[in-house]
Amino acid sequence: MNTCVGSSTTVRDESHPFPIFSSVPPPPRQRIAITGAGIVSPLGLGWQANEQSLAADRAAFRPVELFDTSGLIAKTAGVVDVPAENLFHRVPAHKQALVDRGTRMLLLAIREALAQSGRETMEGIDAMVIGTSAGAMPLGEAYFENARQDPGRVPSQLSRAEHYQPQRQMSSIAAEFGWHGPVIIVSNACASGANAIGWAADMIRSGRAKRVIAGGYDALAKLVFSGFDSLRALAPSGIPRPFDAQRDGLALGEGAAVMLLEAEDARQSDALGDVAGYSTATDLHHLTQPDPEGKAAIRTMTNACAQAGVSPAQIGYVNSHGTGTPFNDVAEAAAIAAWAGDAVKNIPVSSTKSAMGHLLGGAGAVEAVICLMALRGQWLPASLNVREVDPAVRFDLVQKFRHARLEHALTNSFGFGGTNATLVLQRRTA
Amino acid sequence: MNTSDIHIRGVGAVSAAGWNAADLLKAVRAGTPLPATGCARPGDERTWPCETRLVPAVPPEKISRHPRLRRSSAITRYSVAAALEALADAGHDPAAPPQGLGILFIMMNGCVNYTGRFYHEVLQNPAQASPLIFPETVFNAPASHLASFLGIDGAVSTLVGAPNTIMEALDTAAFWIRSGIVEECLLIAAEECDWLSAEALTYYHPHLIASEGAGALLLSASGGGPRVCDVIGPLAYLSWQERCALLPELAAQTQAKLHEPATLIDDRTGISKLDRAETAAWSGSPWQTVLSPKLVLGESMGASAALQLVLGTLAARETQQPVVISMPGANTAAYACVLTP
Repeated sequence: MNTCVGSSTTVRDESHPFPIFSSVPPPPRQRIAITGAGIVSPLGLGWQANEQSLAADRAAFRPVELFDTSGLIAKTAGVVDVPAENLFHRVPAHKQALVDRGTRMLLLAIREALAQSGRETMEGIDAMVIGTSAGAMPLGEAYFENARQDPGRVPSQLSRAEHYQPQRQMSSIAAEFGWHGPVIIVSNACASGANAIGWAADMIRSGRAKRVIAGGYDALAKLVFSGFDSLRALAPSGIPRPFDAQRDGLALGEGAAVMLLEAEDARQSDALGDVAGYSTATDLHHLTQPDPEGKAAIRTMTNACAQAGVSPAQIGYVNSHGTGTPFNDVAEAAAIAAWAGDAVKNIPVSSTKSAMGHLLGGAGAVEAVICLMALRGQWLPASLNVREVDPAVRFDLVQKFRHARLEHALTNSFGFGGTNATLVLQRRTA
Repeated sequence: MNTSDIHIRGVGAVSAAGWNAADLLKAVRAGTPLPATGCARPGDERTWPCETRLVPAVPPEKISRHPRLRRSSAITRYSVAAALEALADAGHDPAAPPQGLGILFIMMNGCVNYTGRFYHEVLQNPAQASPLIFPETVFNAPASHLASFLGIDGAVSTLVGAPNTIMEALDTAAFWIRSGIVEECLLIAAEECDWLSAEALTYYHPHLIASEGAGALLLSASGGGPRVCDVIGPLAYLSWQERCALLPELAAQTQAKLHEPATLIDDRTGISKLDRAETAAWSGSPWQTVLSPKLVLGESMGASAALQLVLGTLAARETQQPVVISMPGANTAAYACVLTP
């Protein structure tokens, strides 16, 4: 573990267009290599399936059948086809139902990331940092419903109470690999996945770990779906249109993604790319609505790029938070314009939520892996369903999949509660 | 894990013992279990006993006024009160919090009251479920409200997990401070009770009594105050059996760090079946004093380790001796730490 004591670099940035207290991130002391990545999304299971879907500009929305949506306005989402077979070989058959759907997706993503880095086990992994917003919510819902229906003691309630806890779900994954290590669960709403990757990168950068699995997940759940529906945040048509002038809301989705991050000096397989920069900040404007000027987002983009040592003009792709809600997209467009300055018109931006929906705690991780895929494949995924571009958009809104040359990609994640996070990924060439 | 250069400058607590850290220390030192009350179940009578030890009614001087707090639930109010006490304890003016402050928030159950209420509305009629309540169900809502209250627009993060997750948060807080991401960091863990979580505890053991509250620590690289000199763990386990087998190692590693009489603040619940391994692990040392907050307060769930650290800080200040905090956890990993004055 790290014992170094660095000097404070915290400054008040009076020259900033928004004079706010600004935390300057520490300079990168070492490269944070990404040696494996796994992705499960409504577009498919695994890197290849997702890449093919993104290349085909395919969207993946369909009616939700996991729970009753009859009383709700929205009835569709990006749904993952989770394999029906038992994925957890060390969990007895009678306890498989206690492994949450989201945890199953996460396990698939972890297996893919490990395989990509030439590993079969988690041996040598120092920590797992996972973001989630809802955790094993369906088990909590079942606990609640059983409790309401029966004033007596219901024996199976102990299992539900136990496995509702996200750390218990993560223990199932650890047990699957016979792995003993710390699991850190970040829950900053829709920024959770990005924060988890940034947290893990910080652990390596500070010397506290050499090798960390980091990412995020969330599965569709009745409570959360109903919550977004109650807020009128979901597109009634079921089609999200990020950065469209007439956009009317987001679509929810589900999925998981992880990266295997390694200190460069401990790397045991080829790197797919680097986590070059990370920053997080808090938007105090409102619990659920972003500051219209996107001040916190400007700071996270600026600081993440500073840590990566790149200017906005060097960012070859921005995977925006881009939910498709009226408030989010206009604030993010303003923030990107303020951050990029004169370079804005040349910066390609898209929202892959237009294809798979908003994966909440999984969004930041899935979108980071998509950035990695874009860097590896030298392409840009599209913002689908745009009919008329919002006048607030000053960047190059990518509306169809296209090939491009890019060395750096940036991804934004903004969550309820005002948590903003930005990651900058860097391409690795052989 | 190295946090030895980080000082605990201030502490604050809200617990069943009262709305400040001094009341907590006094009650735990007295060692008498606080009175428990029956936990009401909405709609029908429970067929088995279920009790809670709740935070007493808020004293007028502890009521904080802010637009964000009008609708927030108990967990946020506890957190704000504990944070303000920690800031004041560190010599800051709570009305003008220092710049460069970060927040790391830890919880296990989170905003259970609003979550239960919202889901009840969803089951009744989802078309009429309240859009005002749903955002309050999110795990990071209390951290967001506290950040808004204190005007903190920098690094704020919420971790969910076992109570001893606070040790991972402490490690990251130390990194944030060292690297200049923040100048000081509020480490807060909080929990609120509801009938569902109180009942859930009784499934683990009929005599477990749910409690609630918040513990806050203001961490800084300067300004003095006790330090978390040694962190032992995480010793990860995958079963209760593995946990029991690891605790002697946890205790042995901790005792190897001690060179003078110390206070132990343990995690015992008063239920021998649950406490046996921990009791045995620590029994080899001649402790100056042993404090067992859960015997007095009950099970504060996500807040419990933070309350131990608050007690440890107060005890270290007062005795000028080391304090060992035992955090064996229940389902993921065991930790212990040594606080020095």
